[in-house]
Formats: sequence, C-alpha cells, structure tokens
Amino acid sequence: MATTVRQKRARPRLLEWQVQHNWWVYLILAALSIASVLPFLWVVLTAFKDRLTAFSVPPTWIFKPSIESFVTLITFRRMHKFLLNSLIISVSATVLSVGIGTFAAYTLARFRFAGRDDVAFWILTNRMLPPVAVIIPMFMIFQTVHLLDTHIGLIILYTGMQLPFVVWMLRGYFEDIPRALEEAAWVDGDSWFAAFRKITLPLVTPAITATAIFVMILSWNEYAFALFITGPNSKTLPPTVVTFMVERSVEWNQLGAACIFIALPILIFVLFVQRYFVRGLTMGMMRQLEKGRQAE
Amino acid sequence: MNQVAQGIGKQRRAIQNRKGFPWLLMSPTLVVLVLLGLFPFVYAIRIAAFNISISKPYLPQLFVGLAQYKDLVRDANFINALRVTIIFTVEAVFIQFWLGLGIAMLFQRRILLKGLFRICILVPMVLTPVVVGLMWRFLLYPHAGAVTYYVGVLAKLLGLTAPQFLANPRLALQTLIFIDIWEWTPFMFLILNAGLSSQPPEPYEAAMMDGASKWFIWRTITMPLLRPSIMIALLMRTMDAFRTFDTIFVLTEGGPGNSTETLNIFLTHLGFKFFYTSRASAMALMMLAMIIAMSFAFIKILRKEEVIR
Repeated sequence: MATTVRQKRARPRLLEWQVQHNWWVYLILAALSIASVLPFLWVVLTAFKDRLTAFSVPPTWIFKPSIESFVTLITFRRMHKFLLNSLIISVSATVLSVGIGTFAAYTLARFRFAGRDDVAFWILTNRMLPPVAVIIPMFMIFQTVHLLDTHIGLIILYTGMQLPFVVWMLRGYFEDIPRALEEAAWVDGDSWFAAFRKITLPLVTPAITATAIFVMILSWNEYAFALFITGPNSKTLPPTVVTFMVERSVEWNQLGAACIFIALPILIFVLFVQRYFVRGLTMGMMRQLEKGRQAE
Repeated sequence: MNQVAQGIGKQRRAIQNRKGFPWLLMSPTLVVLVLLGLFPFVYAIRIAAFNISISKPYLPQLFVGLAQYKDLVRDANFINALRVTIIFTVEAVFIQFWLGLGIAMLFQRRILLKGLFRICILVPMVLTPVVVGLMWRFLLYPHAGAVTYYVGVLAKLLGLTAPQFLANPRLALQTLIFIDIWEWTPFMFLILNAGLSSQPPEPYEAAMMDGASKWFIWRTITMPLLRPSIMIALLMRTMDAFRTFDTIFVLTEGGPGNSTETLNIFLTHLGFKFFYTSRASAMALMMLAMIIAMSFAFIKILRKEEVIR
C-alpha cells in the first residue's frame, strides 16, 4: 500500500530546500559546459581551415572556411574505404551479438536449471578481460587460422567482446516481463517459440534496440584490437586516423576532418538517445540494485 | 479454469522434459565465449610456460615453467608500470568522483536550461577515445597547439616558463590524468545524478520537520542513500581507468621515457615491440588476476551493503 502511494506522488525534488537560481550555479555550469565542448569545437573549426591557418601561431579564430581537408581525405587517403570497413564490421558484430545474446539472456531469465547462476557469472567474467590481454593469444590463433586482417576475424572478435554485455543487459529486461503473459499464450495452444515471438519479443524490442545502439557504438570506437589484428584490407577508422599522426608532417586540418568522420555520427546519435546511453553504461547493475531495494 | 491450468502444465512439462533445452538456446553464446574467452585464456597459460617469440620462430621452444612470471616480477619496468597505473587510476578516479558528485548535486536544484547543460557536459564522454587522444595531442602540441599557446602567454605574463605538457616526464602523467578527468567526470556525474534523483522524499521531509541543518541532512541522509550508486560508479570507473589504453597510446605511447607507461602500454610494448610473446602472455594473465581480484573485492563490498540495508 505504501509503495503505491509513493509511486503516485510526483518525482521528489530532493534538495528543494536549497536556494534556487543562484548566479554562481549558472556560472559554474556555464564554465563546465564550455570546457567540455570547446576542445572538440576547436577541432571542428580546424577541419575547415587550410593547411597553413590550421597550424598558425597565434591560433586563428576567424578565417575563410574551406573543405580542402575533406576533399583530400576522400580523394587522396580513400577514407570512404575505411569508413565502409568500419560500417561493415560494427553492423555485423552488432547483429550477431544481439541476435545470439538475446536467446542466452532469455534463457537465463526464464528457465531454472542447475548451474544457471554459474553460467551467468562466467559470461560476465569474460567482460573483465582487458582487450590488450586477449590480443596476444588471439593474434597467434588468428595467425594459425589465417584470420589476421580479415573482416570476419574482427567481426568474430567484436561479437565475443560484446556478448557478455548484451546478455547481462537484456537478462534484466526479460526478468521484468511476467511469466503469466507467455503462459497465457501457451494455453491458446501456441508453441514455446510462437509465444516468445508474439508476446515477449515485442515487449523487449525497445531494450534490444538500446542494447544494439550501445554495442554498435562500442564496436565503432574500438581501437586496440583493430590496431593489432587488421592490416590494409580490413582497417577500421580509429587505427587509420592515428596513422596520419606518425607521418613526417602532420596536417592538422586533415586530422580534424578525420576526427569529425569518426566522432560526429556517434555524437549526434548519442545525444538523441541519451536515456538509453546511460542505461547501457551501467549495464543493468543499477536495475538489479533497485530491484533488491524494492523487494525489501 | 481447470483446462487453463492443464494447458500451462502441459507446456511447462514439455519444456522441462527436454533438459537440454536451456543449454540449446544458450549454445551459440557459449560456443562464441568458449572460443574467444576460455580458449585464448588456456592458450595464454600454455604460451606463458614456454619462451616463444613470434619474431624468432626458428628458435627452439623450451618449457620454462614459471620463469616468465618470476622474471616479470623482478623487472624494474614492470614495477614502474604498476606504480604508474596505480597513480593514474587512484588519482583520476578520486578527482572524478568528487567533481562528478559536485555537479550532480548542482543538478538537483531547479535551474533553467538544465537539458542544455547536461548535453554539453556529456560531450567528452561520448567522443571516441581515439579522437579524445588526437584532439588533446593537437591542443597540447608544443608551441603551436591552442592550449599550449594560451597557457604560454599566461605563463609569460606571470613571469613563469611555459610548461611542456607531454614532453616533460614529470608533467606528462599529470596531463594524462587531467585528460582522463576531462573525459570521464561526466560518467560519474550521470550515475550519481541518477542515484540522487531517485532518492525517496520521506527522510528529507522528516529531517526538515525536525529542523536539521543542510550539512547534517547531506551527511546522514543523502550520502548513505547514495551508497549503492557510489559503489557502482567507483567500481566501473576503477576497472576502466585501470585498463585505459586508447588515449594513453595515442597521446604518449608511454613516454617520455617510461613516465606514462601503464601496465596496458607496457604489455603492448612487450608483445608487439620487443616480441617477447611468452612474457607478454604471462603478464596478461597477471593483469587478469589483478582485475578479477579487484572485482571480487568490489562485489563483496556491494553484497555487504545490501545485507546492511
């Protein structure tokens, strides 16, 4: 009874007793916002400069914008090829890991069987491995089976890397869906799979979408594996862009343009789906804790 | 009604009769994780027991037992990497936590443009780590980088010498810590903000009725209620800071000298610069042991929290 009353009340503003609209609060927040945004804004500005203004002393703030750097990236550096590699690899890894992981998450949420918690925990430990630690044995294995510098190699690696996250994230959502809904479908004579497809799956589609978005971003950003396992054939964007820097003369306007290539799609995307992003980061751990609190 | 119960019972029995069914559903996941998690792990144990170097395949492979681990522990570079990693992790996470908590507390007030401020503050975290590295390398470039230039001007006005952020071995690690704080404070803020926003109003109402001071309320209500969120935020940040790779590799690659060489970077150098494959494997396993020990400690603390509550 008490809990229903609490839920009905508007979300509490817990520190409402504090003074509102203090000018220093706005000052701090404005300073923080500028400090957070300005560095990347500077890189974006640089991308639209020509070679000389990009590296002028003192820094130039007002200039005639040019798209020289973007043209060079496409024509001379063939960035579109690496962009395509990045797309192929991250999309495939996302589809694979979410596709496989959904069933594992469902199983761990729905069925009771011996060793269930052990399996769940073992799946989670796979996420603790630091990527660099896996690279050395992985490099040797891939060398033997000729998967170095192939799209498939990296897709398999990323799938394995993201699976624990997918399973743990989705498991919590499946647990939230009452079993009775599926049982009702069974009564109507549906098979297990038909009930899963018709009842459960539509209910978790938002969660699956959120997970997929998150997995996609992680694969898109990944650097360590891509650096050591790929070569000219399957290089993704992050290692490609870093190689620009070790050349004899670094052209910062091109580097800026390349940074836009990698970061801007994700940046825009995430800002639209902020809510999911937060949930993804905490990997359902917050949910578990909250559930524990409610249960008491 | 009876029929309904029978229908459910039938299906349930049908599924439970097939004992392997859950395992069948999980099999693709388990196969992938065994191939990519367990197999490399076992393989690494094997490699670490020999003296293999992938750059010298012609050398005979000798079984050396635990010698690789012993050499590693005696290696001054390894000890240095451990020290650098601990300084980096502890200092960065500590400052991020208090900064993030401060910002999250500010966000509990009723303020205008909250959404805009939040989006701006989230930007560093959302940027690709490699881009963060490149960006700061550009901003901190000697003489011509924007930050170097303006800090240089400021230093001149104050009569100081301009700092060399990444070239000075003493300053380089602090610069990297600063960049990590810049990048990941938003994460602390997000989790702590979520925790603060979901606190129940009752204790606050009661405390206010009793006329408790702000400081007292914060210390006795806000912080204890926030503990689970704090633990999660610290756990995730510590583990991630411990294995930071992208930004450090792009910015300094461990240099100058080995002043910013964390365990991850040292491991990369062992494996892919000097091609001490076996020793690198041994080191990877040691890092794994450290991470597992760390997460067990954290999980234990988390569990205890729940029991107390």
